[in-house]
Amino acid sequence: MTPAINLVLFAALAAAGSDPLVRGLESFRNGDYPAAERELREALKGGGDERAAAFLALTQAATGRCEQAGGALAKAFQGAGGEVERLAGLALAQCHIASNRFEDAGAVVAKLKSKHPSDPDVLYQEARLHMRAWNDTIHRLYQKAPASFRVNQISGEILETQGQFAEAAAEYRKAIEKSPRALSLHFRLGRALLMSSHAPQTLEAALKEFEAEVALNPLDSVAHFQVAQVLLVQQKPRDAAARLERAIELNADFPEALIALGKLRLEEAKNDEAIGLLQRAAKLQPRSEAAHYNLMMAYRNAGRLDEARREKAEIDKLQRVPEGEFSEFLKKLGEKPPAQR
Amino acid sequence: MKTLAVVLGLALAPQAQYVPEFKDVAAEAGLTHVFPNGGMETKEFIIETTGSGVALIDYDNDGLLDAFVISGDGAPSRLYHNQGRGRFRDVSAVMGITRVGWGQGACAGDYDNDGHTDLFVTYWGQNTLYRNEGGKRFRDVTKEAGLLQDRVRYNSGCAFLDYDRDGRLDLFVVNYLKFGFDETPKPGANPYCWYLGLPVNCGPRGLPFDRNILYHANSDGTFTDVSQRSGIAGPDQNYCLSALTGDFDGDGWPDIFVSCDQTPSLLYMNQRDGTFAEEALFRGTAYDENGKAMSGMGASAADYEHSGWLSIFRTNFSDERETLYRNRGKGQFDDATLRAGMAHNTRFVGWGSAFVDFDNDGWKDLLLVNGHVFPEVERKKTDIRFKDRRILYRNQRNGKFEDISEKAGPGVLDRHSSRGVAAGDIDNDGAVEILVNNQGERPSLLKQTGTPPGNWALVQLIGTSSNRSAIGARVRVTAGGMTQTDEVRSGGGYNSQNDLRLHFGLGEAKRVEKIEIRWPSGRQEEKSDLAVNEILVLKEPAATK
Repeated sequence: MTPAINLVLFAALAAAGSDPLVRGLESFRNGDYPAAERELREALKGGGDERAAAFLALTQAATGRCEQAGGALAKAFQGAGGEVERLAGLALAQCHIASNRFEDAGAVVAKLKSKHPSDPDVLYQEARLHMRAWNDTIHRLYQKAPASFRVNQISGEILETQGQFAEAAAEYRKAIEKSPRALSLHFRLGRALLMSSHAPQTLEAALKEFEAEVALNPLDSVAHFQVAQVLLVQQKPRDAAARLERAIELNADFPEALIALGKLRLEEAKNDEAIGLLQRAAKLQPRSEAAHYNLMMAYRNAGRLDEARREKAEIDKLQRVPEGEFSEFLKKLGEKPPAQR
Repeated sequence: MKTLAVVLGLALAPQAQYVPEFKDVAAEAGLTHVFPNGGMETKEFIIETTGSGVALIDYDNDGLLDAFVISGDGAPSRLYHNQGRGRFRDVSAVMGITRVGWGQGACAGDYDNDGHTDLFVTYWGQNTLYRNEGGKRFRDVTKEAGLLQDRVRYNSGCAFLDYDRDGRLDLFVVNYLKFGFDETPKPGANPYCWYLGLPVNCGPRGLPFDRNILYHANSDGTFTDVSQRSGIAGPDQNYCLSALTGDFDGDGWPDIFVSCDQTPSLLYMNQRDGTFAEEALFRGTAYDENGKAMSGMGASAADYEHSGWLSIFRTNFSDERETLYRNRGKGQFDDATLRAGMAHNTRFVGWGSAFVDFDNDGWKDLLLVNGHVFPEVERKKTDIRFKDRRILYRNQRNGKFEDISEKAGPGVLDRHSSRGVAAGDIDNDGAVEILVNNQGERPSLLKQTGTPPGNWALVQLIGTSSNRSAIGARVRVTAGGMTQTDEVRSGGGYNSQNDLRLHFGLGEAKRVEKIEIRWPSGRQEEKSDLAVNEILVLKEPAATK
């Protein structure tokens, strides 16, 4: 049980008199579950207290007997109110996760979250739920369809998160071999290639993959954008601009593409056009440093200095070091900053 | 008909471009001492990562550039006398340069206007001002010059400049951060002490900031710290490493660009009243093109496109692009890295750089040296290396650069963990040599095996009303239909000192049509019809009343 439960127990103990319920809660708090169960059952004789029923269920859940606890937990979660309800919900979610009933767990967590949106215990249960559900699904995928290209695709994605980009690229290649027309594989391969090496020749290989993605799905604005990014490094700004225009045609609310095209227009001294694009990007992503920075440059180059200064102020705000970052950081380390004047 | 076709074909065929081949001749030249800078397998503290610079100065006025190489702790920095014929001799002891410590950077200038170039060396700890006494000896005058600091500072880059144009060289000193061995966490101690899953030395993030320093030169050979009142001390949230001076807005007053690590770089604009205003963000030199602060290391300046304005090149960390800030006029810059063709070298941690016209075609090319800060990165077996090759860019005369590193010879391709770079013509033959400080190894001296095809001029300026070194003088050379602009500069690159003489490639021009000089005093001068392939010594005319 979590420390939060112990805190609640103190409150419950104070409120209860000297009876089996108190002894049961005391035992529960100490982790002596057999004694807790004994005392709580005693407390329940003759009608008993609702809290005794709830904590008995919590005790059963804590000792892995979710089947026995389920009904009482659900009841407590429905109407006990306050901390007991919260604890019952957490235990209920845990029980559902343990028995792979992820949908039921999801419903409990959703209700908990609506009442306690910032509660770390609730968020922790939610993270566990997703992790377990993810693991379970992956396991089934590997077991049920080991030859599917999806296995290679998901392996590639996992390897990417581990920073193993060359290995990820190899998995994507296998996936493409199995399913040459599947979407996203060439895109993922292109990105993994770019991440796997700094060699300039990698650009060409990645470009080929992004183009292959576009060939499969000409409406993929992100693939067009990636093509443009490579073309820019290869110093083909006109070709890149065409791709960025296409990406924006396909998705008018694509801030990265708006910024990239805005920068190109800035280079061409087409300040008004650049300003229009960058204003759109800044509106879509108000916290984008790239949007505000390039907008500042565009205003500056256009001689609209007041507006440039306004953007500068925005950038200053965005890039301000959080108050006390370093002193707080050093405190946490237990380190003493160097004696300095 | 067939003959005509062959002749036409030959005439139309593009002329084979000269490809410089560089060879490291340091060993033959006698530059054989090893200069330690902390661990070569692992580095426990950040102080082991940032050293050190080099300098090429003619301390005895014999017309030949001498070499100064700075060491990290464990060995002295050394001064080598240029004996001629490509040989150097260690004269450190006899010249009074024997200090051992965490040496960082060097900058040169005749601060006392006695005709002999003095040397300032920065340290973690006290800096040293070496006064050149007639080319016979250097004397440590730090204390009597008022340059002793009241606490341990992590001094880094430096530059002499006459910011108030009073004819005396003032001194700018960059400070990196606040560092002490006892106070700094060890590798892996916190999230700022990890790189690619490896525990590494901590910082700069997580370590306290410091601020830069400006010393004003008094008439009695002493200096006064004017950091506060000049506005230099204002920015105090930056990890600054190197200084680059230049009149970036063309108003006749020297400005200062400071390259900063993981924080915005700074551009102190001279307000012509003894103060500076920091304007990097608005002028476009603080960040990259996405408004992100880079890990700026070194910086160099050149009029690489013959616009008459000095642009700035800054080296950065691995997984970042280098940055070319193109001066679009009056000190307003754009990030031109992508369109200049410099966006593809992202595996290197760059340090020293130098704009040098290797083929003497009249267009400044660019060399930069690399080396990671974490030797531990070798364990990852990726393409990011602690010791790596250099990069040579050829100026394509259209605002773009071509990476010709792979064919530029072993001097460029050999792998080292390099830091400071100084460029200078050590044998006065018109082909510029490059001195490089390599961590934990002897330095490299890069020399071309062939002769660059173009003509050249070396311009040596002697100030009279201006400071004697003519630091801050702006020179415009017109020859062969081109006009090139450069400035005499102290410090720069990565904490290093280039030849104070200015080298200009002249291509096929047979005469220098015109040299225009704007002396630091403000006096303008013009010389016409000068010979090529010579050292042109020009003295500032005496002031007329």
